[in-house]
Amino acid sequence: MVLRVLCLLTAALAFADPFTGKLAPVFTKHCISCHGGKQPAGGLSLASLDKLIEGGKHGHAIVPGDSKSSLLLKYLSGEAQPRMPLGADALPPAVIAEINEAINSLPRQTQAATSKKDPWLYTPPAAPPIPAVSRPDWVRNPVDAFILARLDAKSMTPAPPASRRALLRRVYFDLIGLPPSPGQVAAFEADPSPAAFEKVIDALLADKRYGERWARHWLDLARFAETDGFAIDGERPTAWRYRDYVIRSFQQDKPYDLFVKEQLAGDEIDDKRAGDQAERLVAMGFLRMATWEADANFKTQLRQDFLNEITGAASQVFLGLTAGCARCHDHKYDPIPTRDFYRLQAFFAATRVDERAAPFLPVEDPAAMRRMMRNHEDESDAADAALKEIEKPLRDKHKQAGKSGDFVGALRDKKNTLFTAAEREQWETARNHQRRISEGTGRYRPVAYSVSDIVPPHVPSLPDTYILKGGELSARGEKVEPGFLECVTGKADPAVIPFAGGSAGRRRALAEWIASPANPLTARVMVNRIWQHHFGEGIVRTPSDFGRNGERPTHPELLDWLAREFTAKGWSIKAMHKLMLMSNTYQQSAAHPQWKSYANLDPDNRLLWRMNWQRLESEVLRDTLLSLGGQLESAGGGPGAFFAVGQDVADGFEFFKWFPSSHAEQNRRTIYMFQRRSVMMPMMEVFDGTNMSESCSRRNTTTVAPQAFTLLNGHLTTSAARHFASRITEAAGSDRARQTRLAFELALQRPPSDDEARRAHTVPLERLAVVLFNLNEFIYLE
Amino acid sequence: MDRRHFLYNTLLGAGPVALRAAESPLALRSPHHGPKAKACIFLTMLGGVSQMDTFDPKPGLDRFDNTVMDWSKERATDQVSLFAKPRLILKSPWTFKKYGQCGMDVSELFPHLATCVDDMAFVRSVQAENGNHPAAVFLMNTGTVVPGSPSVGAWCTYGLGTPNQNLPGFVVLPDFRALPFSGSQQWGPGYLPASYQGTMMQWRGEPVRDLKPPAGVDAAAQRTELDLLRDWNSGHAAGHFTNPELQGRIDAYELAYRMQMEVPGTLDIDREPDAVREMYGLNREVTESFGRRCLMARRLVEKGVRFVQLYTPSQSWDSHSEILTRHKNNADEVDQPIAALIKDLKQRGLLDSTLIVWMGEFGRTPDNLADQRDKAGRDHNTRAMTIFFVGGGTRGGSLVGRTDDLGFKAVENIYRIRDVHATILHLMGLNDMRLTYYHAGRNRRLTDLGGVVMKEILA
Repeated sequence: MVLRVLCLLTAALAFADPFTGKLAPVFTKHCISCHGGKQPAGGLSLASLDKLIEGGKHGHAIVPGDSKSSLLLKYLSGEAQPRMPLGADALPPAVIAEINEAINSLPRQTQAATSKKDPWLYTPPAAPPIPAVSRPDWVRNPVDAFILARLDAKSMTPAPPASRRALLRRVYFDLIGLPPSPGQVAAFEADPSPAAFEKVIDALLADKRYGERWARHWLDLARFAETDGFAIDGERPTAWRYRDYVIRSFQQDKPYDLFVKEQLAGDEIDDKRAGDQAERLVAMGFLRMATWEADANFKTQLRQDFLNEITGAASQVFLGLTAGCARCHDHKYDPIPTRDFYRLQAFFAATRVDERAAPFLPVEDPAAMRRMMRNHEDESDAADAALKEIEKPLRDKHKQAGKSGDFVGALRDKKNTLFTAAEREQWETARNHQRRISEGTGRYRPVAYSVSDIVPPHVPSLPDTYILKGGELSARGEKVEPGFLECVTGKADPAVIPFAGGSAGRRRALAEWIASPANPLTARVMVNRIWQHHFGEGIVRTPSDFGRNGERPTHPELLDWLAREFTAKGWSIKAMHKLMLMSNTYQQSAAHPQWKSYANLDPDNRLLWRMNWQRLESEVLRDTLLSLGGQLESAGGGPGAFFAVGQDVADGFEFFKWFPSSHAEQNRRTIYMFQRRSVMMPMMEVFDGTNMSESCSRRNTTTVAPQAFTLLNGHLTTSAARHFASRITEAAGSDRARQTRLAFELALQRPPSDDEARRAHTVPLERLAVVLFNLNEFIYLE
Repeated sequence: MDRRHFLYNTLLGAGPVALRAAESPLALRSPHHGPKAKACIFLTMLGGVSQMDTFDPKPGLDRFDNTVMDWSKERATDQVSLFAKPRLILKSPWTFKKYGQCGMDVSELFPHLATCVDDMAFVRSVQAENGNHPAAVFLMNTGTVVPGSPSVGAWCTYGLGTPNQNLPGFVVLPDFRALPFSGSQQWGPGYLPASYQGTMMQWRGEPVRDLKPPAGVDAAAQRTELDLLRDWNSGHAAGHFTNPELQGRIDAYELAYRMQMEVPGTLDIDREPDAVREMYGLNREVTESFGRRCLMARRLVEKGVRFVQLYTPSQSWDSHSEILTRHKNNADEVDQPIAALIKDLKQRGLLDSTLIVWMGEFGRTPDNLADQRDKAGRDHNTRAMTIFFVGGGTRGGSLVGRTDDLGFKAVENIYRIRDVHATILHLMGLNDMRLTYYHAGRNRRLTDLGGVVMKEILA
């Protein structure tokens, strides 16, 4: 690949080049002032033909031999906006025509070769030397050295350390998604030794709530939901087991390479570290999490959509590449030809959706599951019988009235005078009860929502995979064999497929290639995700797109160093947490004495001269409110709870009814709430929750007025505030000053100022709680 | 700056739509070209309306009634199981007449709309690419058949911002008897920031969720809370310069307060004169739901809301059987209210700047199962549907497109859903190719690779 690109470029350069020859004066006069120099506008430099082909942020300025696809002409003609040259008259038509001709006269290049290979991305991380810095005393571990070296180069200094309170709040929300108690803050403030912080980190990493917090990040990526989406939005009764698998994996610090392998090929891998067969089958739920049109008319298309989706999702999530773009055409920006998309897809050719028998693991409490299932089955019989009993006289009545048609329809029709309101209500109650019980049964069956391969002798041969032109099923092209991305391996050979018993073994081949220290992408992509959640931004700020259209790393050497450290530490995610959190970089303040000048030099804080601000995500916000009200239930795992929704929503859908769980169930952490694609929690809806339909690598943080309504007047806040107030009254007695002080300490981890204490008394305690919950200081972490 | 700045950064270079970090996401933005329409009211007929029983008369159906239609050349049908059994052509149970100066054909299902045809622009040749309700509804709203993309209302709000910062830019008025499939995903922001999602309002009870303070907190008490919040937040922001979002949130609470003041008045349709209420059919049970929502739409548009979308109940028009009663009921529910909306807007001089779009997710077939003759209906048909536009820069009394003699397939001026989208955007002052948002590796568009504006119906 490298050779091919080089050859082509040399050929292009050797060609009599009008761009650096005849046309050069045009560019010099109109373009070079912006599109030249070290930092050309839009990343596009017009200094050479080479640079024009390489292009800028929007793509190749010139596609040799193809003026129609060349952005240069689109911008010059005004077809793309803003028209170039910016703020000046358009170039004369004759000059544009000349450029047009010059582009068409260049020899065409083949396929992805026009994309210049991004060397850093496709070569394994180097072992970068740890840089020497101006202030070795600031360097607590190599992370700091890499950060400080970049700051040194710009003569900038890092921010002073954050206050003890800010730091403790930061690390608590970061690792477990809940605030520290006033006592924990006081103890931490009293102990300024570095060991104190390490102790906190160790304790939080060992806390089961750490898994509940960090699993959420992965579930966003995995587009996790417990229903199909679309019209029927049918339930996936045991999808919760995948959610619990992810939580457990984080809690146990499962090596990331194993985590990857289990999710792609749990049934095929041969790895001594791997868990039970059942665990591994559940893990493959990853491949099932996309939306699914259960009543699709065209089953072949449905299957193709499934294959496309998992190919795209796997490359985005594990490799940070948007290979899905190459489904219809060669990737416009990255060196991924359509052929490679289908070679990647061929790894899944034998894979079918499947609900597989998977006994409950000890940690899932099989006895309780069995008991719950029996209860449901028993109750289900009783509920059926009860419904029949209620229905019988009504049916007779319906029959006697000479109505042969739709009995249920007649019952539900409020205008039908055959039945009384009481009869209708009694029937509705019995029917709802019966529906609720029968729907619940499936959640306790020992089944993994998973996939399996169909292989000979059950079929004559494995299905062939073809390149589909334009992504159309009807446009079959060349047949392809499973193979890894050529831009990474440099080879177009088919992959070697290991033997895997009754399975095709292809997914295992893919998983082993991805989860290998030799893969240049996997470790980098994952350490970047970890970094992103700790620091608010990744080293690559487009965490699922490391390609040309994504952002460049702000600290490439640090990324490489971390990636190597990650694999060297046995792919331990907790080791990475500790490394990053123990750095002085993490412990910086969000403020900086030089902020005014630094904000000009580096407005996006790419150099990390201070800590980034972070806003509590919707789940963290909800969990925190529940915990402050003392309502949060700690029970982990098991089928999801159904939060309360308005009656209109509960009854508003044709194919399902919404039955809210008990209060205690509803007060569990948000990660344990049942995730129905068509019914979002109000808090998730307004505070940028994931939309559950596509892999989400980064939450938005928008600020809109409905957030204010939800957080000021919504049921959750109102009820949390009521509980919070009674909790305070219980602890602080009736003295308002003491109450206010405790309220501030619990909600904001600090006492109120005198002025605050005075003004706090202008509203009742319960509403003071609401005000505190709405404060920026509450919802933002410095 | 952080995330928000980053978000906006990725938008720079997207033409006039680019945002600046200091702006509210809903601040007014210049359109790509001078628009005719400032607002859009999208009337969504869920389930799929039959073209040959409403606005596309087919005498051919009378001629071939009870005969077998030739499906042999159709490679794929949308509902395989239905086409495995014998089928017969069904003539329309309704008669058509010509109305208005333009002489437009309207069936007796729409006596009220028939009086408005000189203001309406009909397209008889729209094709959908998917014949399954959920996918087709997503296609109609978002341009893609799978969930996860922004709807046309979100795109318009993203592209243009909204004139009235005291109200949401995009309001959705569903029918709670049956919400659309996938609920709020149909008007969610997709990959756009949450600011652009539709805000659902109800025509009965409290229009916006949690708009009013809880019991025991009156307006004055809430103002006290908001004052406390503003002062403490301001004090906090003054000590923390590096986070511009802090000010954004302070502003959002003030906006929320203004909305609390403005929304109830805006939606207080009980204060409309009786004549207006009657015109919209608020006094009759059958027209009350759609009528109230049409009247709410008018009031919202008057106040500067950018996009209002109304839905009939999910599947309401889906008449596989008993089309006679089902289409009649549905038409009765919407006919008078829509006609009232058109006349009311016109009378107020708002019709030129308000675009009304009326469509469902696909059309229906000329034939039906042979064993259902006693309660005949029509099945899904992606090959033709009739939609109409009113006002907002469309040409009243115009007509484009033609279907074959049975109304089965569009044969002239064929348009796709993306063309409908391109036309809506065009009328709102946006160019569908230039309205982009960078997501998952590429610049996304409502119309993907672009749509064709329906020039024939433009004023």
